Amino acid sequence: MLLDVKDIHKAYGKAEILKGVSLTLERGETKVIMGPSGTGKSTLLRCINRLSPPTAGEVRLDGTRVEDRNINEMRQKIAFVFQDFNLFLHLSALDNVAIGPKRLKGLRGADARDLAMEELRRVGMEAHAASYPAQLSGGQQQRVSIARALAMKPEVILFDEPTSALDPELTGEVVAVMQQLASDGITMLVVSHEIGFARRAADAIVFMEGGHIIEQGPPDQIVNAPQHDRTREFLNLIAAEGQVS
Amino acid sequence: MILDIIISHIPYLLGGLWVAIQLLVCLLAIGFVFGLLLALAEIYGHWTLRWFGIMFERIFRGIPELVLILMCFYGVGNWYAIDPFPAAVLALGLRSTAYQSQIFRGLIQAVPRGQIAAARAIGMSGAQALRHVTLPQALRQLPGPWSNEFSSELKATSLAYVIGVVELTRQGRYIISSTQGNILIVFGVVALMYFVVNWLGNRALYRAEKALEIPGLERRESE
Repeated sequence: MLLDVKDIHKAYGKAEILKGVSLTLERGETKVIMGPSGTGKSTLLRCINRLSPPTAGEVRLDGTRVEDRNINEMRQKIAFVFQDFNLFLHLSALDNVAIGPKRLKGLRGADARDLAMEELRRVGMEAHAASYPAQLSGGQQQRVSIARALAMKPEVILFDEPTSALDPELTGEVVAVMQQLASDGITMLVVSHEIGFARRAADAIVFMEGGHIIEQGPPDQIVNAPQHDRTREFLNLIAAEGQVS
Repeated sequence: MILDIIISHIPYLLGGLWVAIQLLVCLLAIGFVFGLLLALAEIYGHWTLRWFGIMFERIFRGIPELVLILMCFYGVGNWYAIDPFPAAVLALGLRSTAYQSQIFRGLIQAVPRGQIAAARAIGMSGAQALRHVTLPQALRQLPGPWSNEFSSELKATSLAYVIGVVELTRQGRYIISSTQGNILIVFGVVALMYFVVNWLGNRALYRAEKALEIPGLERRESE
């Protein structure tokens, strides 16, 4: 087991957002987390890499506990893709991808740029290497941010609603990249309502509500034969929205 | 003829201007270095440092610069024989530190949180995120607000007049006393010299602002 998330609780003051969430991820596996908004999906991802540290519970990567003491080292292995990209605004696409290998892994400038170019090619953004984030569309920015995550050669990548800030016509290019990564064997934990992506690329769908995992299982089972009414209602809602847009 | 007097005294005025510029460079450099440190202390420091920063900034922004200059020269002079020039640098440098700290604080705090989150998420420490992301972005925005500080401090150097620094304003005064020259015309020339330096300085800062702009995030043309 590569990633082991055990009984995570997260409270802000008296409001408990996560009420004991456990899940595991094998190497090469892709899991998609779904659920209504305000359910704690994003909070769960942020607890895993301690962008917001959990109140209780533990996370292990390859057996090593993720804690404040080793967090900068662990975050190099647990990459994070943000909903609103958060590319470094003052750096070109190439430098956005190269900065991690250069500053954190000690690669020489030229080697870091070669590696960055390779990752940009992987997400189909090599032609925009010299562009700055503000010159790129949302979909292009998100692809660069995925390349930035890949350049750290992480063990697992966490995706926090990677397409929900994008116009519908731009989600496709990001989803295509993510599907390619899944088939390349990159381990991914994805918060997303892209049911098509989940069906084609995920090994499991995890349905969350109210700070708990309600049920999880292979996409076909969750989509076609969910065990819980709430899961069915939610998926129907998403399907209805999908037909509208 | 007043014109002859002015022309023959131009070297003295230029000498005075040179002293004023030296004073300006020294005080701005002090303000830059310590202002940045003070801003970092206020934003990231332990509460004692933050408290010190806030007190420092309140005190030195709250006292007239003329009073500060008099205190640094005559006041400090009671214990330690300080020359007029360093006394003026000290007084105006302290004031500039207080003002510049607020410029830096504003710029650093204006860097979007998501930028820092992204830096931390790839494994940068807080210090690395500051060095590679926060400061490069904040300092790019510096020329605009800093041009205010430049203009106001250039003019403040004339206050060093009162403790005997032979800068531009005092040179003007000397010319008037030694030649009975026309006060309005001599000080008019002095004013013009301040104005030209101010104008050139602001022009350079405007150019710097343009050069530092992030592609895709240019300000709209304001000319």
